[in-house]
Amino acid sequence: MNIALLLLYIIPVVLIVYSIQRADGTLRTGLTRAFEQFIILVPRLLVAMVAAAFIVRLIPEQIISNYLSDNSPWIAILVGTLTGLLIPAAPVVVFSMAASFANAGASTAGLVAFITAWTIFALHRVVIYEVPLLGGSFVRLRLLVAFPLPLLAGALVVIASSLLERLI
Amino acid sequence: MRILNQEQRRWFKALLAEGIGVSFWAFAGIAGITGGLVYFFQGPDSFYSTGYDSLASALGMMPRVLAALTMAGMIWVLLPREALSRFVGRSTGLVGLVFATIAGVITLGGPSSAFPLLAVLAAAGADRGILIAFITSWATLGLQRTIMWDLPLMGPEFTMVRILASLPLPIIAGLIARRIPIELTLKTDPDKASRLPPDEDDLDHLEERP
Repeated sequence: MNIALLLLYIIPVVLIVYSIQRADGTLRTGLTRAFEQFIILVPRLLVAMVAAAFIVRLIPEQIISNYLSDNSPWIAILVGTLTGLLIPAAPVVVFSMAASFANAGASTAGLVAFITAWTIFALHRVVIYEVPLLGGSFVRLRLLVAFPLPLLAGALVVIASSLLERLI
Repeated sequence: MRILNQEQRRWFKALLAEGIGVSFWAFAGIAGITGGLVYFFQGPDSFYSTGYDSLASALGMMPRVLAALTMAGMIWVLLPREALSRFVGRSTGLVGLVFATIAGVITLGGPSSAFPLLAVLAAAGADRGILIAFITSWATLGLQRTIMWDLPLMGPEFTMVRILASLPLPIIAGLIARRIPIELTLKTDPDKASRLPPDEDDLDHLEERP
C-alpha cells in the first residue's frame, strides 16, 4: 500500500475523531455533506467508467500511432492533443497507450502533447468530479483556459530540442 | 420503523434525482452506443469482458471515493473559512499562483482527493487564477502521477522533458483565467452547500441532555 492511499484513509478518521471531540455538530454536518456528494457522484461514476472502457476499445490506435510518428512535429502535436482530449480513461490505459506509441516511433513533442491534453481535459474527471463539486461555470472557464496548454507544451518541446541541436 | 421523517425523505429523493440526473443519462447513453459498437465489431466476448472489468474497477474505487469525500466534507466544516480567505484572496498576485502550483505538485492522490480539495479552496474564497493554477498543476505536474506512471512507463528522459515543458503551464493558465470574464457561480457556496432540512435543533437538544 502506498503512502498516499494510506493517508487517504487515515486523514478522514483523524478528522472524525477530532470533530467528535468538539461535539458541536460539525461531525453531523460534515458527514451529511460527504453522504450527499457520495450519492450524487456514484451513479455517474459507474456509468462513466463503463462508457470510458468501451470508448477506449474503439480507439483506432494504429492510425493515431502513424500520425504521432509523422515527420512534422506540428501534426504530431495536433493529433496528440486531440487524442488526449477525447480519451476518458484511467492513467493505466493512457500511459500504456503512450508507451506503445513511443515504441512505434512517436515523436516526443506529440507524446508530451498527448499526455498533457489527457491530464488537463480527462473528460471522465470533468463529469465525475468537476461538474458536481464545482459547477458548470468553473468547468467552462477551465476548459477555455486549458485548451491552448497541450499545444503550448508540445511547442516548447520542439523549440527546446531545436535550440539544443543548434548548441551541440 | 421509520428511519427518515418526511422532510428527510424529500431531501433524499432530491439527492437521488440529482445523482441520476442529466449527466448520468448522457453517460448511460454513450455507454449504450459504444457498447453496441464493441458488441457489433468485436463480438460478445469483448463486450462482456470490457463491461465486467470496468464495472469491477469502478466498484473497487468506492472505498477510496468514500474516504476522499469524507475527508472533503470534514475539512469543509472544520476549516476556518473566514480566516483562510484572507490568506488566499485576490491580492496574492503572481506569488499566489506560484504557491498554488507548488500545492498542486505535492497534492497526493487521484482526482478523488484533488477535486474535493479544489472545492474547499473555492469555498475559502480563493480567486479563479489560484483555483485554475492549482488544478492545472495537479493535473500536469502532480508528483504521484509522475512517479507512478511517467517514470516507469515512459522513462526518466521523457519524464524530465514533459515536466520541463509543463512547468510554465499552471501559471499561464492562472494568468489567462484572471482575464476571462466568465461569471463564476461555485457549487461550494456555504449557504446552500447542504440540502439538509433544518432539523438539527433536535440533535443539539439531545446532546445537551446529561
